[in-house]
Amino acid sequence: MSNVSEPFMNQPTERYASDSWQLHKTITPKLIAILLLCTVVIGWSAHNTEMDRAALENIQAVGALMGIGDSKVVSGATGFVRKAFPFVIASKTETERLVTFDPKQLPLFTHLKTIKEREYDALTDSYSEVEVEYLVHPFGYLIKVLVKMWETLEMAFWGTLFSIMISLPLGILSARNYSPNKVVYSGARGLLGFHRSMPELIIALFFVLMYGFGPIAGIFALSVHTSGVLGKFFADEIENAPTGPQDALRTSGAGKLKVLRYAVLPQVLPQYVAYTQYIFERNIRTATVLGLVGAGGIGMELKGRWDLFDYDHVATILLIIFITVMLLELVSQKLRARTM
Amino acid sequence: MLELHRVSRIYKDGTRAIDNVSLKIAKGEFCVLLGPSGAGKSTLMGMINGLVLPTDGSVVLWGEELNKTNIKKFQRRVSMIHQQLHLVPRLSVLHNVLTGILPETPLWRTLFNIFPETNQRRACRLLEDVELEEKHIHRRAMALSGGQQQRVAIARAFMSHPSIVLADEPVASLDPNISRNVLSLLKRTATQREATVLCSLHQIEFALEFADRIIGLRQGQLVFDGPPKALNEKALKELYGSEKIPKIQEEKTIIADADFVPALQAA
Repeated sequence: MSNVSEPFMNQPTERYASDSWQLHKTITPKLIAILLLCTVVIGWSAHNTEMDRAALENIQAVGALMGIGDSKVVSGATGFVRKAFPFVIASKTETERLVTFDPKQLPLFTHLKTIKEREYDALTDSYSEVEVEYLVHPFGYLIKVLVKMWETLEMAFWGTLFSIMISLPLGILSARNYSPNKVVYSGARGLLGFHRSMPELIIALFFVLMYGFGPIAGIFALSVHTSGVLGKFFADEIENAPTGPQDALRTSGAGKLKVLRYAVLPQVLPQYVAYTQYIFERNIRTATVLGLVGAGGIGMELKGRWDLFDYDHVATILLIIFITVMLLELVSQKLRARTM
Repeated sequence: MLELHRVSRIYKDGTRAIDNVSLKIAKGEFCVLLGPSGAGKSTLMGMINGLVLPTDGSVVLWGEELNKTNIKKFQRRVSMIHQQLHLVPRLSVLHNVLTGILPETPLWRTLFNIFPETNQRRACRLLEDVELEEKHIHRRAMALSGGQQQRVAIARAFMSHPSIVLADEPVASLDPNISRNVLSLLKRTATQREATVLCSLHQIEFALEFADRIIGLRQGQLVFDGPPKALNEKALKELYGSEKIPKIQEEKTIIADADFVPALQAA
């Protein structure tokens, strides 16, 4: 056991000049000042973004769940959930509204259903019971949503296709070693940057103004934004491709385009395909949202039902989106495992 | 057909990569360039290919002096085989050979990858000449062994009907047995097509075995020019300096690196 009163047992006892050297201090007045400043800024920002209210509401919500008091958050959620279940799978249409309706020849799978409904008469301020006949398709709404989902997938497909068509030439022009000159290079790079910097939802707003509601606006919005991403990636890949084979072909007298075609493209293609696959997946996810601004796809149906408080329909849509994205993930994982 | 008139290449820092070299090479000759690392072998080849322009003197091909404007024209008649092969790894063997004829192929054909049947047939014959079998031709170049890849590179070099083939250390990364095989294929292919070959090597025994004529470079200067028979101890000493003479390799010795010169052998 060492002697406690002599901590520097093995060291000489004479004075060291280094005893007066400045040591490292972790906590300094400067640090405290910086920390204080950060706290103030964060506090101010939290107030700006209502983080304080969020904390309060969350505490109330936990309380409400345990049976103490009320909470807006919980009642909002339960309001949705109560209306959302069961999902709507069937569709029903009043037979009176159908232009060509023949009760003897019902469409496939459908049946008729009569429902008693209360009708309000404003003149007499009284309710009366009316029997309304509906044509019910047992999974009509599901089919409608699936059709919309398919349309969304198609939007993503066309968006990706146009994106490839824009990004290939622009990508080549913005690769430093294959661009014809500096002006074209900067122009192409700038254009790609511009495409990249505009979020799909905002471009979609403009395209809806130009082409009206529907998938055209969505497809164009997707292709503009993602071509910026894909083009930059392609240009960088071309610039980083191994130079040996390119030099070999160039010294044999082959022109720029031929060298690009035979020494660069084969080397770059696998990564480009992988990236395109990622962009396609991303486009599907984005395409589901684009409908919110009227640019076609399942989002339009979602927005319409949401605004009518048809949460049971909304639930069906959300479920279909969820299943589609999951399936997509599964398929692309399988694909990736095969191509790698 | 190939003449160098007192060519020099002097770099800005004063290094004389090639110093006052004059050469005349006749059609169909198989010349081997020998010399220690940094002797200027690659620079000399680059001059014939138009990659390096001489700072002094002139390179004359078929009676016409090489300059900046006519490089492209000559590059089609001069092909090159590189030390690092420079095949396109993901392209098939057949298409790697076909890239040798890109300058003559119309652009639309290259873009859609449709090569005329006659050219494809020619590529196949060349591949047969370098002893590659049919089962390999649709595989990717990167799937082949080093020796096979170098044979593909030879086939590619001959695809464009070259009059001159420059081979820069073509067997540097191969083991001796495969090297011998590759060099004999190179020589046979060249002889069949009456092409002149200028090939740099670092293995003296291969130079003695294959060369019609040996050209020795040391510090950019021509120090030996003659048939293999004339390359005696004295000439070797002059070529590699008094101390560094690479040992003539025995069978099965493997030299992995081009720049590696085996330990000194006292003369």
